[in-house]
Amino acid sequence: MFRFRLDGSSGVPPYLQLVHQVRQSLLLGYLQEGDRLPTVKDVAGDLAINPNTVVKAYRQLEHEGLAGGRPGQGTFITATSSPALPEAQQALRVSLEEWLRAAEEAGLSSDEITALIAVARHDLKKEKVS
Amino acid sequence: MTQNDAGDSPPALRTDQLGRRYGRVWGLRDCTLEVPAGAIVGLVGPNGAGKTTLLEMIIGLLEPTEGELSVFGETSHSPMAARLARVSYVAQDHPLYRDFSIADMFHLGRSMNPSWDQALAQARMDALDIPLKRKVKSLSGGQRAQISLTMALAKRAPLLVLDEPVSSLDPIARLEFMREVMATAAESGLTVLIASHVVSELERLCDWLIVLTSGRVQLAGPADDLIAAHPLLTVPRATPDADLPGVIIQRTDSDRHSTVLVRADPARLAAQQHPAWQADPVSFEHLVLAYLQRPSARAATDDIAQAAARPGPSTKAVSR
Amino acid sequence: MIWVSWRQHRGQAISCLAVLAALAVYAILLGTSMRTAFGNDALTACLAHSQGTACPAAVQAFTNKFGSEVNIAFWAVTLIVPGLIGVLVGGSLIARELEYGTWRLAWSQTVPRARWLAVKLALVTGGLIVLGAAMTAVITWYRAPMDRLTGHLQHNIFDFEGLVLTAYILCAFGFAVLAGLLLRRSIPAMVAAFIPWLAIRLVIEFVFRDHFLAPLTTTVNCMQGGCGEGIGFVPQATGRIGDLVLSIQGNVVTYQPADRFWTFQFIEAGIFVALTAAALGATIWLLHRRAA
Repeated sequence: MFRFRLDGSSGVPPYLQLVHQVRQSLLLGYLQEGDRLPTVKDVAGDLAINPNTVVKAYRQLEHEGLAGGRPGQGTFITATSSPALPEAQQALRVSLEEWLRAAEEAGLSSDEITALIAVARHDLKKEKVS
Repeated sequence: MTQNDAGDSPPALRTDQLGRRYGRVWGLRDCTLEVPAGAIVGLVGPNGAGKTTLLEMIIGLLEPTEGELSVFGETSHSPMAARLARVSYVAQDHPLYRDFSIADMFHLGRSMNPSWDQALAQARMDALDIPLKRKVKSLSGGQRAQISLTMALAKRAPLLVLDEPVSSLDPIARLEFMREVMATAAESGLTVLIASHVVSELERLCDWLIVLTSGRVQLAGPADDLIAAHPLLTVPRATPDADLPGVIIQRTDSDRHSTVLVRADPARLAAQQHPAWQADPVSFEHLVLAYLQRPSARAATDDIAQAAARPGPSTKAVSR
Repeated sequence: MIWVSWRQHRGQAISCLAVLAALAVYAILLGTSMRTAFGNDALTACLAHSQGTACPAAVQAFTNKFGSEVNIAFWAVTLIVPGLIGVLVGGSLIARELEYGTWRLAWSQTVPRARWLAVKLALVTGGLIVLGAAMTAVITWYRAPMDRLTGHLQHNIFDFEGLVLTAYILCAFGFAVLAGLLLRRSIPAMVAAFIPWLAIRLVIEFVFRDHFLAPLTTTVNCMQGGCGEGIGFVPQATGRIGDLVLSIQGNVVTYQPADRFWTFQFIEAGIFVALTAAALGATIWLLHRRAA
């Protein structure tokens, strides 16, 4: 059975943590198409969290096309977990690695890189709003 | 199981201008709430805020001085036995009869509750590996808490009330206790009301929130709706209060900027938002603490609060 | 609910049975030796045709032998034990739940607290009545030989035959239950109930009992002896065994006749039962009001 974990101090809402863990596991190949996710009761009883949080997470996964419920049987992974990324993501990955190398050579620390990314995303969002 | 839509089943709890006076002091006043079945509610407030008063009225241990109260349709005019059958209760110190054996406690449960489920009680003891013939006084604090919880769950009432259930327990015992509550809620659609002043634990447990200070409800509603209604704005320090949308809950000023928690619906916010402002979602804990710290005022009954108190589908997709 | 009441008072029931057993053992030992002595002294035959005047020496010997033990030991018993039993059983009935917080458990089950209390009180009161009756029966059996010489209107003897012993227990119980609700602590409730109980007990016995009904008078010729009062004198100054002599002035004896025993028992027991009912009624009413 797939076991979730919860980080109470991360600041990330619980349901999102569950969604992230499924996405992550899919990328790494730990979850594969056809795997059954634990029941809401199992997760709620394992982590001591609100069962509605689990329901919300599973609904989000359905919305993203990663999982689907079969009535009476549970929730199953529907996405293919191919380690090979689609072409667009592959190209982005390459340019990202180039940028990171450039940033390191410019002398930015790991924290500064993260902050820079956050500011850029924020500005982009403002642009979209106005 | 998920929360029911309010449709046909009665709400787990409905109060209308509920109040209780002790002599000349009001322990609780103007309490108006409607909690849907299946919700897991966190009741937060400092000691003396009125949590115990509210809980005891819900359970049937105390009568209201004014206002109305109903639990799954049973009001304070219903027969006492019918009211008592709707609620299970675990008090703060997990009271049990110390010289009883666990089997005796279950016999008491059977004797005093027509709805008692002995199979469930037995199954829980098997799962916990505690023999029934042990005396209560020989059990550890964590085990006693589990027995109290078993007594409450075996009563099979639709509403479970927990008064600071884990404050006296070590971390392992706490986890075991809440695991059982959440698993049972998942399985049977139990409505749970947890009174606590440990805010940090409540986020993962509760999808509904009631904040009580000085005997009045300051905030009440589904947690997601409340968080959506309270953007956390980062604004320039010089921004006057009047320019800010909605009701200011908490304003923290630094040298060049201010962080302001407001209660404003998205339309209001969109209309008044300035390009220089940043709006982020508030965290559960921050929201609760902000309300707890507010100088006590009558809870405003504006649109947002009323909307938050109405039952509705709880699983809107919320962008965080 | 009946099982719960029984289980909660099981320990007390066992202790009461132990007290009863101890009393029975004492009674059987002393009672048997009294009956033997009574038979040996041929007192039965003597009493058949006289009021003890025909065999004064035998009577004297018997009363000397058994009189002191009986009176002194039983003085303590009749005064303290019924009160102790009552307050020990009643003081913790409600108070214990309040002290230990178990009221939150007991009154949040599906049994309304009024019914919870009513069933408990009914069961425990019933048990105390049975205990009181049993204790009275044991004591009455054991005292039977002595009673044939002294009657049972006398102070001491009156206190533990008939109905009053049970009534004393019930009254102490009622006071203690009420005190437990008001004071919310078992031991203070027991003390707070015992003191007024004892006061009322003594006042009724020594101030009122002798005059429950207007006493009768008769004149005697004291020259012929038998002008005494109290247990030591057989027969009493009136010439009849069992009369309670209140005073002698000159030749005039003021007394209560022996056949008033049951009337006085009903009167005194009635007073204590009425007090019990008032205390328990107040408790039920107050408990009902507590929530409201």
